[in-house]
Amino acid sequence: MIEYDEHERRMVLKLVYYGPALSGKTTNLLRLHDLLAREGRGELMMLDTTDDRTIFFDLLPFFLVAPSGLKIKIKVYTVPGQVRYDATRKAVLQRADGVAFIADSQSTETANNVESFDNLEKNIALVGLDIDKVPLVIQFNKRDLPDTVPEADIQSVWGPTGIPVVMASALEGWGVVETFAKLAEMTYGNIDRRYRLTAEHGLEQRSFVERLTNRSSE
Amino acid sequence: MKRQLSLVVGAEKRLTDILSAAEVVPLLEGAVGAGAAYAALLTPDGEVIWERANHDRIGKVSVAVSVMLEGEPVGRLVVQGESVRNEYLDGIAGILLGAVQGIIGVSLKQVLTAEIHTSVINQSYDELLETNRQLSDSEGRYRELASTLEQKVAERTAELEHAHSRLLQQQKMASVGQLAAGMAHEINNPLGFITSNLHTLQKYAARLILMLDYYSSLLESDPAYARLVQISSRKWQELKLDPICADVAPLIGQSLDGAERVKKIVADLKGFSHIDDSEVGIVDLNAEIDRTLSVLEYRFPPGTDIVKNYRELPGYCCNPAQICQLFFHIIENALEARPERPRLIISTSAGSTAVIVSFADNGPGIPEGIRGRIFDPFFTTKEVGAGTGMGLAVAYDIVTGIGGSVEVACPADGGSIITIMLPLQRKQYVPLL
Repeated sequence: MIEYDEHERRMVLKLVYYGPALSGKTTNLLRLHDLLAREGRGELMMLDTTDDRTIFFDLLPFFLVAPSGLKIKIKVYTVPGQVRYDATRKAVLQRADGVAFIADSQSTETANNVESFDNLEKNIALVGLDIDKVPLVIQFNKRDLPDTVPEADIQSVWGPTGIPVVMASALEGWGVVETFAKLAEMTYGNIDRRYRLTAEHGLEQRSFVERLTNRSSE
Repeated sequence: MKRQLSLVVGAEKRLTDILSAAEVVPLLEGAVGAGAAYAALLTPDGEVIWERANHDRIGKVSVAVSVMLEGEPVGRLVVQGESVRNEYLDGIAGILLGAVQGIIGVSLKQVLTAEIHTSVINQSYDELLETNRQLSDSEGRYRELASTLEQKVAERTAELEHAHSRLLQQQKMASVGQLAAGMAHEINNPLGFITSNLHTLQKYAARLILMLDYYSSLLESDPAYARLVQISSRKWQELKLDPICADVAPLIGQSLDGAERVKKIVADLKGFSHIDDSEVGIVDLNAEIDRTLSVLEYRFPPGTDIVKNYRELPGYCCNPAQICQLFFHIIENALEARPERPRLIISTSAGSTAVIVSFADNGPGIPEGIRGRIFDPFFTTKEVGAGTGMGLAVAYDIVTGIGGSVEVACPADGGSIITIMLPLQRKQYVPLL
């Protein structure tokens, strides 16, 4: 958690989209920006990209006020996927409340997915978080492409881990909101008891997720 | 240590962190210049951050729009003017908001870029410092290793030499034991028939003497043989058969005693070496001391006086051969303290936790300067070649090996006392080698 100020009645959460280079993390955020209603979200900030590659990060902020008056800001970040930007990844990962791992479904990218997931595990430990406790959702992106790893194989690998897996095509716009909703749901579940979101602030899990994933009527 | 900027990527910004008067005030002035009576940027609570007014105009109508930062309303732009120009004011407010939001977008991007950049630089710097520290540490270790290498090699070599000597000493004792056991077997066989034959000879000789007496009494009872008696009596005298007959029994008796002693010596030597015993056994320490004394007896200086103050001891669980070695070295050392008339007082006693054995001699005592070194390997006060300096070292190893301790005292009236504490309660017995 980036910030929790009981006096100012303010909570700032951080969600991070992690994954190998070119797996579609920025595209996920672009689609969320397009698909979700304007109300309650800010503009997508894309920092310094060269040739459409993320160097620093992208940021899509959300803002909502709980019935109690608690202001909650949710900052959704992408990290640069390229191996050389590990320092940036670590900096962005600091104090993350939840992680969406965006994997590339193409069978040629399996090794990169594994390498990036190892990197995530390592960096999560380095910034002082516990991989077993941080809410984590895995998205297998690019399902629209030919030659992807079969869904049955993916389920047989990840099913036993208990980590939720979402199939998606960010390019076609499906699976993206579902991934975000699942991450929001798990993040809420992880902090509700400690910050008494339901008990004291009157903000229930369903309402929290719905307000974040309120689709644009346009 | 320099203070570093501590940043978390995503830390909240206030509106005034993003906007400056230099950027916003000219916009407010523009709004006023374009015909508004008053233009201001306020906090959500209504506090004025920056404002500009044209006092020639009257602000009858007010238009307010929200300024957004990351989706959150963080301020309000207020424009006031005359009522007839209501639409006009909306237009001004719209342009003003667009400009302010534009500046916020650009500034936020700059701030976020700077933030991540600083964060990454700090992190890299910290990592470099850490790497540097680790390298310095390892360099330091290598330097230290290099400078002390020679000394360490010497120390280890000495340790190895000591260990080797101890091993040799132990092996020596073991081979002595083996030799003793072999000899005992070889000696016991002839000793057996010597003893048995001597007993038979004793019987036979007695019968022969009886027969001689019988002849003598037969001849003397018949006067016809008086001449024969006279001649044979002369021959009897000539051959000194009276003292010889008297001497036969004691001669054989003494030989039997001698054979018994040989048997005992052999048995003691074999017992001392414990060559037939298992590694661990329960022994009577008093008996072991006695056994050691009899093995050493041939080396006792003239006039040796051994005083035994034994108390009854519980059975002691140990390696019997090692315990005999321990007593052997200590007694041997004590007896060498005086070339003649040495007096050794051996006392034993048992407490609830340990057996105490002390050896007090009447030698010259141990000079205070070397008292701490007598248990060191190779330390000897004897002439070169006379002693190995290993005896007490091995004794010390044995005592400490079974968890006991050794103390040396030199009373003011002379002599020295070595007191050994052997613990009774040990969870398990650990052989020394």
